[in-house]
Amino acid sequence: MNREPTISASNDIILSLKILAREKEVVRRKLAVTAAKLAATAEKLAVTAREKEIVRRKLAATAKEKESVRRKLVVVAEKLKKSYETLEQKVLERTKDLETSCAKEAAILLSIGDELLVTDEKGNIIIINKRAEKLLGVQNKDVVGKLFSDAMLLVDEKGNPIPAERHPARMALMGSATTAAGPIYYDMRKDKTRFPMAIMATPVILDGKVIGTIKIFRDITDEREIDKAKTEFVSLASHQLRTPLSAVNWYSEMLLAGDAGELNEKQRKYLDEVYRSNQRMVELVNALLDVSSLELGTFAIEPKSTDICKLAQDVIKEQRPQITAKKLSFSFLCKKRAVHIHVDPKHLRMVVQNILSNAVKYTPEGGKIVLSVALADKKSILLKISDTGYGIPKYQQGKIFTKLFRADNVRDKDTDGTGLGLYIVKSVVENSGGKVWFRSPVEGGTKGTVFYVKLPLDGVKKSSNK
Amino acid sequence: MIIAFEAGTLRYAEESAMTTQKTILIVEDEKILRAAIADILTLKNFLSIRTRNGKEGVEVALSKHPDLILLDLIMPTMDGMTAFKKIREDAWGKSVPIIILTNLSATKEQPTGDMATNASTYYLIKSDWKLHAIVKKIEEILGSQDKS
Repeated sequence: MNREPTISASNDIILSLKILAREKEVVRRKLAVTAAKLAATAEKLAVTAREKEIVRRKLAATAKEKESVRRKLVVVAEKLKKSYETLEQKVLERTKDLETSCAKEAAILLSIGDELLVTDEKGNIIIINKRAEKLLGVQNKDVVGKLFSDAMLLVDEKGNPIPAERHPARMALMGSATTAAGPIYYDMRKDKTRFPMAIMATPVILDGKVIGTIKIFRDITDEREIDKAKTEFVSLASHQLRTPLSAVNWYSEMLLAGDAGELNEKQRKYLDEVYRSNQRMVELVNALLDVSSLELGTFAIEPKSTDICKLAQDVIKEQRPQITAKKLSFSFLCKKRAVHIHVDPKHLRMVVQNILSNAVKYTPEGGKIVLSVALADKKSILLKISDTGYGIPKYQQGKIFTKLFRADNVRDKDTDGTGLGLYIVKSVVENSGGKVWFRSPVEGGTKGTVFYVKLPLDGVKKSSNK
Repeated sequence: MIIAFEAGTLRYAEESAMTTQKTILIVEDEKILRAAIADILTLKNFLSIRTRNGKEGVEVALSKHPDLILLDLIMPTMDGMTAFKKIREDAWGKSVPIIILTNLSATKEQPTGDMATNASTYYLIKSDWKLHAIVKKIEEILGSQDKS
């Protein structure tokens, strides 16, 4: 009976059951689809998981690498730190060294025994040493940064200010090499004392550019005093040496002239020796004085327009007695009536006189002398003095202008002569911007000498007697 | 004014003042040279007055008006250059011929300027000049003066 009710279920129920069964089937099918989807998803997830695992593994590897890099970095950092410390130490040491060497250089610069002043490229003072401060009577702080020309008032001998463009510092800035100027006078602004200064200004060049100037200068009052003393010595020496010579000259001259009665032949001969020796002494003293004047620079050069032909004629006139005595044939050629040259006539005279008297002295009796004056070119004059004399031996030609040198051949023949003449000639000619040279023997012959003197027509600049 | 001349010379000069002899004033501190010049001048028929320094020289020059002056440069009491200037300042002294007879080499301190402008100044170096040549020069100067 239990099953009866079941069997006896109404058609409605059956129908409902059938519907239910169908719905179940739908659900089952849906579930199956879902299960399949889930399976697919699970598979995808598995793939992703695998990929993730790979990534994780990779990440783990990277982490390991990173760790090793980090460790390495730590090592490097430590090393760096150490080397940095060493470097710092080194820098400290080097800085100290540099400071020491800088200080040394500054000390060297500032301790220079002369007065020193350094400017920048604009002429502003950047360094002044103690000596310069003392000499100029200024303080470092008062002049540093100021223009050189404002800090120092330079004047000439007469007290006129020297224009800025002629300041040695300015000239050095213009790039001209070392400029020596002196004496320049400096007016101390405080007490208005003036003293002569020698200034040497040099451009400071870095990488081909002028970055400033260095000026070394000093008070040359003492030097000037010495110069003056030298000049005085030369003139006094000339006076003292010549006075006894004049006495011997004049008295023997009067005796020889018979002014104190007639002399016998032997007396005359002896006295003549006295007189001639004294004459040599006079010549020697004169030559020595000329030489010392030239060497001490006490020769005042006073150039003026000089008629060289007339001057030569005067010298010839002086030599005439010796020329006549030796029966020399003498010609004088002056191309132009008057050739004027701007020289000190005293000096030119010394030149002509020395060369001509040599020609007369060293040409044997009956010889020939020619003196010619002509323009060498537009700017210079050529003096030519040729003789048919003994000539200058080849082996001694290099020494002929040397002080006190006399060639062997003339020393054999004539003991007279100072060995100073040609030395004086060379000094004077070269001081005048000229040139002197010679040829011996004369071309085409075996004897004789030709001396050439070339002098610029515009001649020499005036120099003071210093 | 008392001037210590060498004995006899001034008197001699004054006694002969009436003659046509020319009077030469010697200003020279070296006795030996002064004597030599005086001797040759006497021999050549000149009158001479000897003085020993610039001061004496100026005094005698301005009071005695000699025809020509031989003037040394380096001398005690007053040097020749100072004496030269003092003589030239005087109206008479302006034109008197003066031969500077010295052993001092000519330098720029010497009267080169005056020599260029004043025709009656001469500069001779003693040791370079014979006494006879100096006398000749004196005669030449005085001769040309007489002519003019």
